[in-house]
Amino acid sequence: MAKTYDYLFKLLLIGDSGVGKTSILFRFSEDAFNISFISTIGIDFKIRTIDLDGKKVKLQIWDTAGQERFRTITTAYYRGSMGIMLVYDVTNEKSFENIKNWIRNIEENASADVEKMILGNKCDLEAKRQVSKERGEQLAVEYQIKFIETSAKDSLNVESAFYTLARDIKAKMEKKQEASNPAGARSGAHQIRANEQQRKPTSWLSRCSLL
Amino acid sequence: MSRSSSVEDLPEQCKDLFTQDGVLLKACLGRPVTDLNSIGMLCIVQNQDNSKTIEWRPNDLITIDSDTQDQEWAVVNTIGITMSFAKGRRQRTLSGNITSDYATARARIIKIPIEELKTFRVTRNNQQMQFSTKPGVWQTTFYFQHGNAEIFVAYLKNHVKTAKTRHDRNTYVVVEPNIESQVLNKSFAELDIFTENTTDVVWNLVSNFKQRPYETTMEAFSKLTDIVYYGNEGVNGKRDVSEEVVDLLTKSMNAMEEATTVTKSDEYEVISVKPTLPPRPSIPRGTPLSPEKWWALQDTEGRITEVEGVKQLIFRGGVAHSIRQCVWKYLLDYHPWHMSNAELKALTKKKTEEYFSMKLQWRSMTEGQEARFSEYRDRKSLVEKDVNRTDRTHPFFAGDNNPNLVILQDILLTYVMYNFDLGYVQGMSDILAPLLLLLGNEVDSFWCFVGFMDKIASNFDMDQAGMKHQLLQLQQLLTFASPELANHLAQKDSGNMYFCFRWLLVWFKREFSHRDIMRLWEVLWTSLPCANFHLLICVAILDAEKDILISKDYGFTEILKHVNDLSMCLDVDKILSTAEGIYHQVVSAPHLTDQIRIILGLPTMSNSTSTHSGSDAPTTSKSETNGTKEDQGTGMFGQEMDEDTLEYNGLQICIVTKTVWALLA
Repeated sequence: MAKTYDYLFKLLLIGDSGVGKTSILFRFSEDAFNISFISTIGIDFKIRTIDLDGKKVKLQIWDTAGQERFRTITTAYYRGSMGIMLVYDVTNEKSFENIKNWIRNIEENASADVEKMILGNKCDLEAKRQVSKERGEQLAVEYQIKFIETSAKDSLNVESAFYTLARDIKAKMEKKQEASNPAGARSGAHQIRANEQQRKPTSWLSRCSLL
Repeated sequence: MSRSSSVEDLPEQCKDLFTQDGVLLKACLGRPVTDLNSIGMLCIVQNQDNSKTIEWRPNDLITIDSDTQDQEWAVVNTIGITMSFAKGRRQRTLSGNITSDYATARARIIKIPIEELKTFRVTRNNQQMQFSTKPGVWQTTFYFQHGNAEIFVAYLKNHVKTAKTRHDRNTYVVVEPNIESQVLNKSFAELDIFTENTTDVVWNLVSNFKQRPYETTMEAFSKLTDIVYYGNEGVNGKRDVSEEVVDLLTKSMNAMEEATTVTKSDEYEVISVKPTLPPRPSIPRGTPLSPEKWWALQDTEGRITEVEGVKQLIFRGGVAHSIRQCVWKYLLDYHPWHMSNAELKALTKKKTEEYFSMKLQWRSMTEGQEARFSEYRDRKSLVEKDVNRTDRTHPFFAGDNNPNLVILQDILLTYVMYNFDLGYVQGMSDILAPLLLLLGNEVDSFWCFVGFMDKIASNFDMDQAGMKHQLLQLQQLLTFASPELANHLAQKDSGNMYFCFRWLLVWFKREFSHRDIMRLWEVLWTSLPCANFHLLICVAILDAEKDILISKDYGFTEILKHVNDLSMCLDVDKILSTAEGIYHQVVSAPHLTDQIRIILGLPTMSNSTSTHSGSDAPTTSKSETNGTKEDQGTGMFGQEMDEDTLEYNGLQICIVTKTVWALLA
């Protein structure tokens, strides 16, 4: 059966309970928002295919339960993810402080070269804000991770956050392909390179489905 | 009807009237320990002088034709039986050839003259039989590997007249030994098979088709002949037995053909049995426990004495909505069953005070205290987040400033004070919401929530050990009940069953509507018919999806997606019925393992051979009561077997047990 996409990226949303992971996902996949979402138990994922520089990129985005207690189960799903969104709630100091713990958690359970991004969600709730945008940026610089403030409710920056992460993954992937296959054609030869890649299962790239 | 299968090779001119293989000697007074736990066959033997004896012969007296049966298989596992058909004469290979040192070994045979038999009893879910020739002591105890002691009893009762003791329906007192052989002509119905303990007999008949197809078929057909001859007399017009039996036979024979392979040879046929499950009975659901029945179950003081009977009814059909408020308090261990109305009133008063004193503990906390109490603050923050997203689409919790959300939050925060170490874990609000919705009352909801949490506390372990353990058990059950699916899941990197996590954590709360989850929960709260029945619910749901998951070759992500998407598309009654059917398949399987027995809370093989020694005293009413209790303590299974009809205040409540579904299978 012919695939309807060129790339498949597995992404992951992590962060404290109630920071808005499911809302971000729902905004991105359904372009909708529901103030009374139910908490996520266990794990689920949604799919959206986006167009990136002429390529169809299928994003498989995994949504996890936030409470620390469930981490032993949810980390089992980290494996194979190529991009991770670390989400905190700008109206909740604790969720921001915990980003460091989440990063440590990624280091322990995900591939070393996974693309990361920090999202400060609920930025529409200016009156309740506990974490300034500057602090968010500072943390991002400290970890050398991209950062953006979002509002799933107001549909602010959610789209661009996922596009940014997907583009970074794609760029990293293509760079790796170039490096591992310097003799390959400059352009229009994804399929050939993809096939060659598949013979090297040790590569990080083997986790992506290519063409 | 002649049941004899004569063994002419035996030196003495005695005749085996009935033989049952796979019987372990568990205890025998005056025997060396070395004889215990050896396997053999239990027979009813007619001696030369027409007297009769119950004989147990160890298997090592008997050689097994190595051409027809693998020696090791026969010793380790006597499920498969080789039948030999030579010169048209029906003869058992197992009882046929005699070893050279027969004379010395013969001393190991245990003989109980039926003349002397005083009492016998069947315990441990038809797995154990004990005999006594003098009051006060059970001299011999046998363990039936196939769990079919009732068949032996049925034949034994052709030769002795028995009465059941008043207090223990599993104990038989011999009234008149060696009644004449005309009783052999008793019809199937008169053998008590349909009037007493029916369920087991019928079920075992079905499972015996798999274990001993030819023999069972012959027995069943001969019984059938009797029914045709004698009509329905003795059945008291209760049921058309012959029709039921014909139906059962036809179906079981078909199932047998699928499960067996027959190798033909000149002299004999070898029938080997694949380790497959018996056919799944289709078990109709019952009607919910009605208010009339419920009120009739209480004595004048409001006590409920027939607890197991009530649970049976609830297991069968759930509870009528109008009395759930009342019944759930019992099922969730808030109201003890044996308390009178006056005692309950006092209890409610005490529990109300206790609740409000715990509530006051967090209500009276000042802002400053809270600021310095991070562990409480963390818990409170989790509760607040989840309360705002619990069942908000249901009218009871919908809308801004809904007062029911405040109660939901108050109960959860009070629970934090009740069990601070556990605190609040996601999923608890899901557990509480239907309770509050039904009970409406804050205090009742809290204590029922406490009762429910006690049942599932391990789901919320800090290290998730309880969840992981259940997922492992689920995997083991699935491997036994649906090996093909289990294999597929393992191949697709889903053998850890993590995709069932949500089901187990909140007991399927997210998979069903409020109406259906109430039904499912109340059934599960009865703890019937076995431990961990909720895992069999998982197996039932998965089994229904098996064809899709396998035929579409679903992988890791598709499996998770498919399972998550089943939410709100499941039929609760169908699933309960299937799960019960699977339960009966599993426990009747000849190859049932201790691993599965442990999961389902059944006594294990090793356990039953070591703990139950045969020296406990029989027949006196006091020890019988003890015996009954002891047997009940071995698991829910035994209790379920016993209850057919209950009488309360002159009201007869018929509990549809295995009889009905076995016949409808």
